[in-house]
Amino acid sequence: MKKTIETTPYIEKTHFWGRLFSWVAFAMLMMVPIAVMLHLDTRPSFQQVFDGFKGVALIFWTAAVLEIAVYAPMLGTGASYLSFVTGNTTNMKLPCVLSARESANTKPGTDEDEVVTTIAVATSTIVTTIILAVGVLAMGPFISKITAPGSPLAPAFNQVLPALFGALGAGYFAKHWRISALPIIVAVIVLIFSPSIGTGTLIPVCVVVSILGAYVMYISGFLTGGVKPENPLKKKK
Amino acid sequence: MADFKESGFMYAIAAAIIGFVLVQSIFFFVRAWRHGKKIGMSTKVLKNTVTSSALFTIAPAIAILTTVVVLSSSLGIVLPWIRLTVVGNLQYEATAAQSAMDAFKGTEDAVPFGQNITNPTVFTAVTWVMTLGVIIYLVLVPLFLKTVQNKIGKVTANKDGENKFGDIISAATFIGLIAAFIGNALAGKAATIVKDGVEQKTGMGAGVMSVAVLVTSTVLVIVLQKLCQKYKWDKFEPFVMPLSMFAGLGMAVLLYTVLPESISMLEWRP
Repeated sequence: MKKTIETTPYIEKTHFWGRLFSWVAFAMLMMVPIAVMLHLDTRPSFQQVFDGFKGVALIFWTAAVLEIAVYAPMLGTGASYLSFVTGNTTNMKLPCVLSARESANTKPGTDEDEVVTTIAVATSTIVTTIILAVGVLAMGPFISKITAPGSPLAPAFNQVLPALFGALGAGYFAKHWRISALPIIVAVIVLIFSPSIGTGTLIPVCVVVSILGAYVMYISGFLTGGVKPENPLKKKK
Repeated sequence: MADFKESGFMYAIAAAIIGFVLVQSIFFFVRAWRHGKKIGMSTKVLKNTVTSSALFTIAPAIAILTTVVVLSSSLGIVLPWIRLTVVGNLQYEATAAQSAMDAFKGTEDAVPFGQNITNPTVFTAVTWVMTLGVIIYLVLVPLFLKTVQNKIGKVTANKDGENKFGDIISAATFIGLIAAFIGNALAGKAATIVKDGVEQKTGMGAGVMSVAVLVTSTVLVIVLQKLCQKYKWDKFEPFVMPLSMFAGLGMAVLLYTVLPESISMLEWRP
């Protein structure tokens, strides 16, 4: 088999297990509406389902392609398979992976990184599943009270993302402050002129700007103490 | 008739899905742990990963739980629980349910989003739309993940540790992602959903609160990391980021309690 990048036997095997679990998840998820339909002995018309589906298909399916293209290389192999099956990638799985990688000081593509990122996402999934199960079964009314508008804790639940990404960003901003300012400024400008843009669209924009900015800063010598390095994209392998 | 949305049958489906998710996670966890030990990684590093990931998960998980509670007013508690356990996402599920319910507008089965669905046909249509909206992940990932990681990963990742350009591009990718969320905290508007026919905010836009929380968690990480390096607090290091995140959330509660609401809840991007 021809490989475009060297992968370790462990990562190769992870692809096998990941694909297997993904197809099982696909079958199980499709069984949910089928089982509900058979159990309730009712059948919405194709048109009724299609009318609802076409309202979300373009946004969801485009976002899925972008998310997989942008996040999969950041997450690592095992973590990607787990994360895309269990969802909540940006607001939960990715922060866990970035934090774990930062703490363990591992490099993407290595077995060490695979181990750490997989453990991070698996732990996060198990903890989330337990919190949701306990919350739904035992604490539904209690949760709605502490998160209801007017509760003293309610403001905290509206600010989970700034708290999460502030904490995550700090390490990167301190280490790479030269390349951090541009994507943040661009994000703010985009939001000022296009306030209804979803985070799912804003992320790829910021990632592309950040990479292009970093590339220009690198080849101009701004990141290497004024010494202009050879353009890595022109370099022969 | 008892509420069909919360019947024993629905709970049985939820149990099967949740069981599958747990089995998959435990399988990958054990496999990664064993491989980590085999290649000589220390138990301390692996345990620190577990601790910091668990701590990082608590607050977002409670936020997801609130989405389940919000959606339950229309869909009962079980379907949102299933959907947010597999491929689920905070905003997608509300949007998909809303879109499916909108398809019945103008018919006698129409129910505005937010009100209890009593018609099994509407409920089944919602279940289909919520499933079809996200099923694409479970087709694309097994088919293309390997190719994507090989092609794009080649640019962002580097293995040799001496590729400075690779390191910079890798960092720039993460920074781009984080910048989108920082931008939202500085200038983003609150997301909205249409509930009972009225457009409603589902959170807060950028304002005093979001900036105070952002600054608190960011500054605290930098200060605590410096202290850890200076005084060699190795054992405390994995807790720095999760603790700073909780401190940011604590700042939100503190501001709301101490300052007048006109200041603490001021949003410049409502």
